[in-house]
Amino acid sequence: MNTNKNDKFSATSQLENDTCTVFLRGELDLSVAPDFRQVMEPLVGDEALNLIINMKDLKYIDSTGIGILLSILKARHGMKAEFLVKEVPDQIQKLFEMTGIAKFFAAQENSQ
Amino acid sequence: MKDEVQRVVISLPATADYVDIVRLNLYGVASKIGFSYEDIEDMKVAVSEACNNSVLYAYKHEPGIMEVTFEVYEDALSITVKDEGESFDSWSKTADRASLHDKELSEAQIGGLGFYLMEALMDDVSVESVAGQGTKVVLTRRLAKSEEKV
Repeated sequence: MNTNKNDKFSATSQLENDTCTVFLRGELDLSVAPDFRQVMEPLVGDEALNLIINMKDLKYIDSTGIGILLSILKARHGMKAEFLVKEVPDQIQKLFEMTGIAKFFAAQENSQ
Repeated sequence: MKDEVQRVVISLPATADYVDIVRLNLYGVASKIGFSYEDIEDMKVAVSEACNNSVLYAYKHEPGIMEVTFEVYEDALSITVKDEGESFDSWSKTADRASLHDKELSEAQIGGLGFYLMEALMDDVSVESVAGQGTKVVLTRRLAKSEEKV
């Protein structure tokens, strides 16, 4: 099936000096997980970057999306590189707290 | 009419591209009954996780079908996600239904979060799986008293 995935989800990166912010929009679920991974992969490996994901326009995330965020956290933690999430909507923050990933984000925030 | 259950049944290809259609239908049915926005968001996550399971594990790489049934009760909504693929075994084995709460980042596992979310977000979750005959996940959420229509 030829779906218009861009309508459903987009991840747009914006580079400013040594900070890269990735803006997520729409629904991050199993169907778009490969697209999200593809955008993130080169950024995650760059330890000189301050990596930020802005979730202001993210409407929905499932366990696949949370799993990808967890793997980014692990990779960045291993490299001692920055990784922050910003403007997390309430409903998504609730899922972060429910699953327990929230404390890892908080630890990153506090280590700055 | 009192005890009559009303059903909405949809049958979809068990692929990731159709899980959002299930969420749209859930939104329609649940808002008709009077669930709050927040409750519906919770149910969306839980139902999607059940569908993800069918998509990921039921049919391996063969095309297959998932059937979603919404059962409307006077004070509850029950959603059944059924497939006829392999059993639930692969999911229950990889998923120890664990959250990340008691874990360090280095030992945090990615698997199992979907099941954990289903259980955390719904009032009742039941999983029936018969080897070779597929899996049936039933998720139930009751209307909070204040949300009930008079």
